[in-house]
Amino acid sequence: MILNTRRNFFKKSFLGGAVLLFYNSSLYGAAEPLKTLTLAQVDLFPKVKELHVDTASYLLLILDHSRITASHKEFLRNGVQWLHEESLKLHGKLYYNLLEHERQEVLQEISEYGCGEPWIDALLTYSMEALCSDVVYGVNKKDAAQKWLGFCAGFPHPKRAYL
Amino acid sequence: MMYDVCIIGSGAGGSPVAYELSRAGFSVVVLEKGKEYKEEDFNKDELAVSRRELFTPDLKDEQHVIYELNERKEHRRYLGSEHQWSFWNGSMVGGSSNLMSGYFHRMKPNDFKLLSAYGEIEGANVVDWPLSYEELEPYYEKVERIVGVSGEVVSHSFLEPRSTSHFPYAKLEENGVTKWFDSACKSLNFESIPTPRAIIPHAALKRNGCSYSNFCGSYGCATGAKGSARAALLQKCDARVITEAFVYKLESDATKVTKAHYYDSDMKTHEISAKIFVLAAQAIESSRLLLNSKNRFFPYGLANNNNQVGKNLIFSGGGAGEGRFRFETLTNEQQKELMEVGLFFNRSLQQWYEYKKSDKKIKGGTIDFLFEHQNLIPRIKRAFYDEREKIIWGKALEQKIYKELTTSRVLNFEVFNDWLPTDECFVGIEEEIKDKYGIPVGAIYLYSHPIDREVGNDLAKKAVQVLEEMGASEISYSISSAPPPNIVAGGCRFGENPQTSVLDKNCKAHELENLYVTDASFMPTGGSVPYTWTVYANSFRVADILRKRLES
Ligand SMILES: Cc1cc2nc3c(=O)[nH]c(=O)nc-3n(C[C@H](O)[C@H](O)[C@H](O)COP(=O)(O)OP(=O)(O)OC[C@H]3O[C@@H](n4cnc5c(N)ncnc54)[C@H](O)[C@@H]3O)c2cc1C
Ligand code: SF4
Repeated sequence: MILNTRRNFFKKSFLGGAVLLFYNSSLYGAAEPLKTLTLAQVDLFPKVKELHVDTASYLLLILDHSRITASHKEFLRNGVQWLHEESLKLHGKLYYNLLEHERQEVLQEISEYGCGEPWIDALLTYSMEALCSDVVYGVNKKDAAQKWLGFCAGFPHPKRAYL
Repeated sequence: MMYDVCIIGSGAGGSPVAYELSRAGFSVVVLEKGKEYKEEDFNKDELAVSRRELFTPDLKDEQHVIYELNERKEHRRYLGSEHQWSFWNGSMVGGSSNLMSGYFHRMKPNDFKLLSAYGEIEGANVVDWPLSYEELEPYYEKVERIVGVSGEVVSHSFLEPRSTSHFPYAKLEENGVTKWFDSACKSLNFESIPTPRAIIPHAALKRNGCSYSNFCGSYGCATGAKGSARAALLQKCDARVITEAFVYKLESDATKVTKAHYYDSDMKTHEISAKIFVLAAQAIESSRLLLNSKNRFFPYGLANNNNQVGKNLIFSGGGAGEGRFRFETLTNEQQKELMEVGLFFNRSLQQWYEYKKSDKKIKGGTIDFLFEHQNLIPRIKRAFYDEREKIIWGKALEQKIYKELTTSRVLNFEVFNDWLPTDECFVGIEEEIKDKYGIPVGAIYLYSHPIDREVGNDLAKKAVQVLEEMGASEISYSISSAPPPNIVAGGCRFGENPQTSVLDKNCKAHELENLYVTDASFMPTGGSVPYTWTVYANSFRVADILRKRLES
């Protein structure tokens, strides 16, 4: 339910619009933020895929939340740009056109930057939130983290979405 | 309609007055800016409650401006919304008492006479209270019965005098690790005390007993076992509670408050008339409302002709620490005990409530021990960085998370000692920054006296000794000048002298005939314990005073 309405948001969200990329001081092209962020999330924590957690839908849900500041969204978007520009610098291709080990190399590289580490931290945090989210949010239908970590506290569960 | 009593704020400071006076037959209205949630609305949705702070205002709408004093005595300014620095604790019926953990300690007799017991401290406005422990004791006892405090009275060096020999509710069930704690204390010759809690262990007071949900602090209680002002008091009386009513001004003539003005959720203004007004919007907001309620009789803010409103703001001094227990060093039996969820840790040390240093008598404090909060996300996030503080991901992160969360557990401690009142720590108004209602926001001027940190460190070292003796690893602690926003008091201190206090002994404003303040604002010093038991007790005391006044 929530996800359907949030998907409409995608059209007007910053995740919907393309991010312009520069390479060797000239405009190279554009990248899709949501596609980049969700791929980076899986590269950073493949377990989310194994546990069938829908991190893309969670990003759409959470980045529309009133408590997520505009400056934070801007920061995430800038990270998309750095990631692709670093990919171009190292391998001459956009991040999502690289092989898995090349993408890991790029992540390693950007983690060395002052802003790179907090960007990775933010993406991992959203993955963990998705992984631990209640079933009512529809992105973690099988209580993945709870089962994986044998977590049996946290009752009562919400009957409806509070976010 | 003219009410007998109008209360602003429905938390621990306001609700005892609402409960007592409405049950005594007086007409009582409570104006509360937050919404109403009941037991059935509460759940353990970590994303909404903890990550997105469902129960506190969005800083974009309502914030504070914070000024921190540096060593060069210059103020550094922080806009709350820009720095995500929040001093909100819970805007809802029952206030932040819904979200408290309910670690309850009484203040000690000497806390009521800090100046006479320990002498002057340079740079601090230490005073004696105009009230003694003996005068407040019957109300501490009343809170035990009516709000519901569970525990076990054990003899120790600083056990305060009690009019009853037992708590009315037996202590909550405890995790097996408390046995390790008790035996560590025994070998160190430390006095282990079961921590009293504002939680009832079984059904009583028309409330359910605790379900040991393990998500207590920061979360509303779905059983009603927690002694929130809402569950214990407001739901038990017929005081009228108007929700989403943000009081922005108290109107007065030269001697009396005449009206409270509030905005509803549609930004429509309303006014309430009453014979008596009781302010309990939590320490910072109560001072803010008074300072924002200027008029021709009180040009500097209501009850502020002596320039005392907002002064001597205090928090709990101290800090927190932790140690980790890992399976590698434990027997199978101990591993099971460690991972048992639900049951409480509930242990405190008060042996150094007063201690000697270089032959000088020092006022010390309390150390509470508790398991790390069960919130999953912060525990997972702790695994994000390796020993070199570099971020990790992929398989390495997955394995670390799994190991940390399934084969180890962290025991925390919290140190509570005096945050000495000073001229540098106070509440003001930031005229040019307005909240969503268009009202100037509060400015919080922060400063902690160096002695606060010295005492905090002395106490933390004792806690570390216990953790070491218990066999914990990765022990660390942090005692700092960062204030805990949820344990806040002062700003309208009570006292005999109108030149140095805002309220008299009855918590009535010296300068007005019918204005009382019953949240923690009245406290001139804070004691070395969390404040809520004292806030509840004092509010019951003022309720008695008001009842007599209204009856006559
Ligand atoms: C996470 C957490 C854990 C805690 N744990 C403990 C603990 O273990 N032990 C302990 O002793 N204490 C604890 N506390 C502190 C305890 O909750 C407070 O000491 C207590 O609730 C203070 O009572 P109060 O009446 O001053 O404020 P509150 O209970 O917060 O009530 C104030 C009310 O006033 C309302 N209000 C504010 N401004 C206005 C306005 N202008 N108009 C109308 N309404 C207004 C607010 O919305 C709020 O509901 C904890 C608090 C938190 C948040
Ligand atoms: S049920 Fe018990 S542990 Fe859970 S919130 Fe209520 S008082 Fe706290």
